[in-house]
Amino acid sequence: MIPLLFAASVVIFTLLALQPGDPLDELRQQNPRITAEQLEQLRRAYGLDQPIYVRYFKWLGRALQGDFGQSRTYASPAGQIIFGQRLPRTLVLSGAALTLALLVAIPVGIFSAVRQYSRADYVITFFSFVGFSMPIFFLGILLLFLFAVWLPEQIPWFPKFPVQSISDFQWSQVQSGEITFLQFIGDWAFKLVLPVLALSTIQMAAWTRYMRASLLEVLNQDYVRTARAKGLGERVVLYKHALRNALIPIVTLVGLAIPGVFGGAVITETIFSYPGMGRAIFDSLVEKDYNVAMAALAFLALLTATFNLLADLMYAVVDPRIRYS
Amino acid sequence: MNRYSKIVALGLTLVAGAALAGPADNSLVVGASQEPRVLAGDFLNVISNQSIKVEIENYLFAPLIVQNLRAENEAVLATEVPTLANRRLRVTDIGGGKRRLEIDITLKPNLRWSDGDPLDTDDFAFYFEVGKAKGMALNNPDYWERVNLRVRDKQNMTVIFEPAYYYDTYGSPMGYAPVHKMGPEWEKVKAAAAPLNPDRDAQRLNELYRNFFQQFSSNQAINAGRMVYSGPFRVQRWVSNSSIELVRNPNFNAITPQGGANNYVQRVIYRIIQNTNSLLVAILGGGIDATSTVGISADQARSKQLTSRAAGRFDIWAIPGAIWEHIDINKFTNVQRVRDLTLDDKRTRQALLHAINRDAWVQAFFDGAEPVSHTWVAPSNPLFNPNVKKYEYNPARARELLAQVGWRPGPDGILQRTVDGRTVRFELDWVTTAGNAIRARTQQLFIEQWRQVGIAVKTANAPSAVVFADDFIQRAEEGKWVFFMFAWVSSLAEDGNLFQFKNLNTGAQLVPSKENNYAGQNIGNWRNDEFDRLTSQGVLEFDEARRKQLFARAQEIWAEELPALPLRFRSNFLVVRSGLVNYVASTYSGGNGYPGWNAWEIGWASRGAAKRHDQAQAGGIAIK
Repeated sequence: MIPLLFAASVVIFTLLALQPGDPLDELRQQNPRITAEQLEQLRRAYGLDQPIYVRYFKWLGRALQGDFGQSRTYASPAGQIIFGQRLPRTLVLSGAALTLALLVAIPVGIFSAVRQYSRADYVITFFSFVGFSMPIFFLGILLLFLFAVWLPEQIPWFPKFPVQSISDFQWSQVQSGEITFLQFIGDWAFKLVLPVLALSTIQMAAWTRYMRASLLEVLNQDYVRTARAKGLGERVVLYKHALRNALIPIVTLVGLAIPGVFGGAVITETIFSYPGMGRAIFDSLVEKDYNVAMAALAFLALLTATFNLLADLMYAVVDPRIRYS
Repeated sequence: MNRYSKIVALGLTLVAGAALAGPADNSLVVGASQEPRVLAGDFLNVISNQSIKVEIENYLFAPLIVQNLRAENEAVLATEVPTLANRRLRVTDIGGGKRRLEIDITLKPNLRWSDGDPLDTDDFAFYFEVGKAKGMALNNPDYWERVNLRVRDKQNMTVIFEPAYYYDTYGSPMGYAPVHKMGPEWEKVKAAAAPLNPDRDAQRLNELYRNFFQQFSSNQAINAGRMVYSGPFRVQRWVSNSSIELVRNPNFNAITPQGGANNYVQRVIYRIIQNTNSLLVAILGGGIDATSTVGISADQARSKQLTSRAAGRFDIWAIPGAIWEHIDINKFTNVQRVRDLTLDDKRTRQALLHAINRDAWVQAFFDGAEPVSHTWVAPSNPLFNPNVKKYEYNPARARELLAQVGWRPGPDGILQRTVDGRTVRFELDWVTTAGNAIRARTQQLFIEQWRQVGIAVKTANAPSAVVFADDFIQRAEEGKWVFFMFAWVSSLAEDGNLFQFKNLNTGAQLVPSKENNYAGQNIGNWRNDEFDRLTSQGVLEFDEARRKQLFARAQEIWAEELPALPLRFRSNFLVVRSGLVNYVASTYSGGNGYPGWNAWEIGWASRGAAKRHDQAQAGGIAIK
């Protein structure tokens, strides 16, 4: 795994360094009076005059000691931005969205399968397709417009949802007694409602369909018919025999979605002004803030490699026929 | 309080939060789509020179002299504006065509920082010392190479420029920083920097300096109260990625607005909503009183959702800005394509401009909120000459000019001519930044109009990072581009550098070529010796009337020769809640066109704030 991570970091670093232009291009655009010599001095000051491999090994040496360098755009240590600020926020948003999607999709999928071709099934199917095919940038703005503008305009008592998803309250205010813990949590939760709803919609819709299809397939299997023939109650047949088997493909899908939880959701984060990993990666690439981009991308490479390894190991646990030697 | 009543109280607080904003509690909520990376302590803009940082700092630091809506100097911390008439400005010839400028400044008495410490010339001397430190990565090195400071006493100082240019008299000639707060740390930095060599240890020096500024400008430093302020506001709290709350600074005494400071906003909250569509929703929802310069786009400002809800609630203003959209044309005659297409002939360039309908374009695309430009100088610049040759939409004249150059319609209607036995068709490759919707739509429109006169234009767009990289934009000599649409900032401190072949004062050649290591902004290679002489002389002219004459003639020459196709000046769009007064901007208000240059007098009429400025009179175009 170590050679793999080393290779990944070399590739990421090289690609970033090979991006056209450098962080000083913007400066040259803004200040027509700046001369080539002065730019060269700035380039030296930022270490941009050194060859890529020198910059890479300097970065690697520091990164191995946990120092990911300074962010040029945030004026803070890159590691602190990624691991101290962005990652926890992303985990909250994406984790909440994933949980909501699961909590809704599985029961609704089961319901839809059990009542196949009923009016409720058609309604659920319709909304699943709508949810699945709705682009998130559109859904996000639609939710914002609906809950922050239109509904409060129409219904005077309707709570006006905030456009910003980050609370102004800080933990230090709870510690100093300025606000209560309940106020702190309440404000955070209230502001997360819309982004969580937007982010979970697609997964919710997709998993509902998967759950329905998977359960229907299982319900048509011989062993389910046998269970029914044995005279078992419908609840036992459904929840003990059918559902457990039907959940296996869903577990795989959820497993695949987990690394995405760490990577953030750039569009949702952008629309709802939520500073998570997605935006950190996107902004750092646009702004050519190499230290932040490297910290985030190297971390994602590590996660991907680790989850792949874990998945391989889990197969052996789940399926006794697989053995590693 | 039981659990349920707490929840109800929380809900009411959240709902009431929005209703309390604005005149009710004499506060102002400004919506911005960008967050400053740092604030306040980075006084030389070494870490960041973002617009939003500079705009917010308008509230936090009062300048010596501010440039008002008409770009005229007004004294703030200084007792009076230095002029030749009051002898506070002294210009002397120092030989070799160079001049020296001395500016005497007297500080108003009893100026104070927000912590109550006196603000005096020591703070200016400190700023000067830091700016002059070896290896400092400055954004405006030419200023620092020419400036000097002589402190006479705690209230009086002289700023000296050598060689001096007229624009050294614009705005504040010198900045300042709180030596009582930052001085001790700076002494440590100086000691650490002493053994370092600016050439060999540039990166180490830069890290040292950046760390120093960061200690007084990062989010943590600001929230920990490590910085002090001199403007009408100080930072109360900065919630990263969310908001920056400023409250009135009781120690600001340089200017007392009419009726007293209590009649004006007491709290300013910058709300950071990066996605401009979301920012628009926040405005519609009523949570925003005004937008920052870094706010919504032209399309959003003119959107039906906003304009239909604006009556009686908001004023929407287009403020013509200094960003000049144009098409640069390659005129390097060593490039075969340039010779083939006769782009080095002014008649071809004039024909290209006659063939496009820029008036209809700004009307259709921007409802007229962004003015057509006729030269590179912004109309708000005191040096602007309105009486230059203008190229109205006239396809017949365009065809006539092209015929004079030797172009004849080919069988498919595209112009062609014969060069050394070859048939050359008039086919242009047009480069601009990919992903810019307005530029892409503009291309579609103009391509169609050029086709009408027989010119075939193809787009060859690429990302900004590619086209603005040195090995592209600076390499017209190698034929990397022939027709390139982008924007320059038209500076108030106009010096003609963008189109000079050679600066006669410095001797610098400004056309990028191998000889000058591809430096300079005259990227399309235009050479006009009279233009060079007029503009080089103009920057040395301290008599405004004579300076205007020189630049007026330079603009006439430019408009006749047309080294680039002038398109329009972009506007900044401000949404301002009805009843909010003096939240105004112009192209060069405060030197850079941001609102907040007069932060002390922004207020709500219903709270007793007196209206001193009118946006319409300051060039603002109302959007209905």
